[in-house]
Amino acid sequence: MANKTLLVAQREYLENVRTKTFWIGILIVPLLIGVMVGASALLAKLKQVQRYTVVDLGGGDLLARAEREFRQGDAKAVFQLLAKAKDDPKLQELQRKVGATGDGKEPSGEQMLAIFDWMQAQDPAVLAKFADLQTSKQYDYLPAAELGIAEIGSEAGQQELNRRVQKGDLFAYFVLGDKPQESTTDFRYVSNNLTDDSLRSAYENALTRIVQKDRIAEAGIAPKVATHIQQRVEFQKQQVDKTGATAEVKRENVLDKWAPVGFVYFLWMAIFSIANLLLTNTIEEKSNRIIEVLLSSVSPHQLMQGKIWGIAATGLTIVGTWVGFGLLAGWLVPQFLGDTSGGMMGMLFTALGNSGYLLAFVVYFLGGYLLYAAVLVAIGSVCNTLKEAQNLMQPVMMVLMVPLLAMVFIGQEPNGLVAKVMSFIPLFTPFTMMNRAGGPPETWEYVVTSVLLVVTIWLVMKGAGKIFRVGVLMTGNPPKLKEIFSWLRQS
Amino acid sequence: MQYALILDGVSKHFGSFTAVSNLSLQVPKGCIYGFLGQNGAGKTTTIRMVMSIFHPDSGRISVLGQPDAATVKDRLGYLPEEKGLYKKMKTAEIVAYFGKLKGMDSRTANLRAKELLIRYGLGDWLDKKCEAMSKGMGQKVQVLGTIIHEPELVILDEPFSGLDPVNRDLMRDLILDMKRQGRTVIFSTHGMEHAEQICDYVMMIHKSKLQFAGTLSQIKQGRDLGIQLDYDGDGDQLQHLPGAARVNDHGKHAEIFLQPGKDPQQALRWLLDHVTVKRFDYREPSLHEIFVRTVDEANQKLATAGVER
Repeated sequence: MANKTLLVAQREYLENVRTKTFWIGILIVPLLIGVMVGASALLAKLKQVQRYTVVDLGGGDLLARAEREFRQGDAKAVFQLLAKAKDDPKLQELQRKVGATGDGKEPSGEQMLAIFDWMQAQDPAVLAKFADLQTSKQYDYLPAAELGIAEIGSEAGQQELNRRVQKGDLFAYFVLGDKPQESTTDFRYVSNNLTDDSLRSAYENALTRIVQKDRIAEAGIAPKVATHIQQRVEFQKQQVDKTGATAEVKRENVLDKWAPVGFVYFLWMAIFSIANLLLTNTIEEKSNRIIEVLLSSVSPHQLMQGKIWGIAATGLTIVGTWVGFGLLAGWLVPQFLGDTSGGMMGMLFTALGNSGYLLAFVVYFLGGYLLYAAVLVAIGSVCNTLKEAQNLMQPVMMVLMVPLLAMVFIGQEPNGLVAKVMSFIPLFTPFTMMNRAGGPPETWEYVVTSVLLVVTIWLVMKGAGKIFRVGVLMTGNPPKLKEIFSWLRQS
Repeated sequence: MQYALILDGVSKHFGSFTAVSNLSLQVPKGCIYGFLGQNGAGKTTTIRMVMSIFHPDSGRISVLGQPDAATVKDRLGYLPEEKGLYKKMKTAEIVAYFGKLKGMDSRTANLRAKELLIRYGLGDWLDKKCEAMSKGMGQKVQVLGTIIHEPELVILDEPFSGLDPVNRDLMRDLILDMKRQGRTVIFSTHGMEHAEQICDYVMMIHKSKLQFAGTLSQIKQGRDLGIQLDYDGDGDQLQHLPGAARVNDHGKHAEIFLQPGKDPQQALRWLLDHVTVKRFDYREPSLHEIFVRTVDEANQKLATAGVER
């Protein structure tokens, strides 16, 4: 008897493996991760260079100092590049000027100045060659001379600047007041882009540092004292580890706690799309009229179980491949980024490759799939078209939305009341328990929720079997809910 | 006599609707048995109960000597009225799959599927997908899937519907072949000529109730003889034949029943005067006539019963 179930499952599996849906399913997750990783880099590249200029009403060296301060990050990056100067004549030239190889930790003030001077003299294209020069790539300072405005500080000059901002030639311009030591209230930032505030805030930070330094010097406070006064209070993040001692919180710890949220998302996609495959499959078989031939050879129970497990095998193949990708990436990516062991990517993939999460993912996939598959196969069995099924799917979709909406919330409070309550509702158990994996929940919770889930799967399968048995041979309008309940009451 | 199938007082209801009512029937082994009846009469429900797709509400069914049909499923072959195939499967694969579902081992099923397809003229289609085939070819593949495991009892629901004359003949030959091999064949049909040509036994079910069952000669025995007429000319004339009780005019062929005591010779004389007679036969009624009359009589009986109530 079980042999026939296996035959149905085998056929189902083979047919699905031959479809496009299957291969899309396999590739979608690595693709998604690739897109997530690549998109941010790509977007940064696609972002237009923001051209700006600065009007310094004071006429002193504030503008030059502001630019330097602003581009300090880039100067440091260039300084690091000196270590690789052997291959590049431009960098060799700089090396001579600066008189350092870049192997040291930090450049001195003088060296920074030398680098700034050098950077100023370079063609922007040459500078852009250095991938890490974020500031240079994103923001382009156009001196007044380059803009062709003679009296940039005058009324007419400002009108001209306004005109350029309006036309879009300029992204923004800054106006620095003439007495920065006394007051900065007349500093202005003029731009018509009200959403991207990164240039303003970065420039503001740079200027704040300069003005503070000047004021400290003027007040005759030793820089050391000033730094000491200005020091912010920063809590050192700690957690209590298994032994009960406190330990430093590393970034990978935080990522590790968030990784389950990502897993929930994939779990949801996997369960939904694969259970949906079963639904369309059942409807197709029914509208094909092949069901009756099959039922002359196998019992409805065997047919249903065969379909559910055949597609489960399809799903497990897809999910197994994902897990394989995850393990591979978890091992491979940190290797690639080995030198920057603190790199976000490396940690992300280490978290992805966390074998505990992967195991939970596979187990909860199977549990969640079986539960929803039983519901969907029952729905499929009473419908003749996908359209009819969509109506009956609506309540199921609403239930399925809950774990998705609660995903982030439960990630923040993995052992909170909502998380605990949802864990014990079998329809949500797979998602919620996966979501809480970073918590982690207590052992008894795993045991009780799993038992509840298994019992529910068994009950739902039984009910689905009863609906399937009658529904699968029905034609015409789908039955009313009342009728379906009357089938459930039959033995 | 050994029976392939025995139904004993079988009834089936769907809610308040009675699909089959107290049906008793014996199908001898090795015969061809025709199930007749209008659409919705209860033929398909009866067949589904025999195949244990449905379970009767009351009564007993014994298939191949077994009280529980589910235990002999593998020895039965069934072609439902609604014939479907997996569109994406290759013809050889699907025929073999049906065999495997009936318990054949994989190797034998694959070999036999190819053998059957080649024998019935589908050798070029072994590796083609089912969706590419015409309806007739698809139906052939279906039938081969029904008989691949050499079933002892084959049940075909409307096997002739939707087939062209060549394929009808092929289907007929297939059924006769199976009889020759000692299998029992039950088929349901609306085509009375098929039933008359190839059935050893027929039964008719109307509005869930059995009307008659038996060999063709048993059924025709004792019924009014009628005139079987092939003719050319104005068919309307036939309606005016003196002494005619019923005229079934088919255009070129007519079946005419006379009022009791009327002479067929006189009728022939009258006919010769009014149409060109090509063939004249005075014999027992056709199955078609019996079918139509049974429906009429049963409906009348139901109507009067309704009035009395």
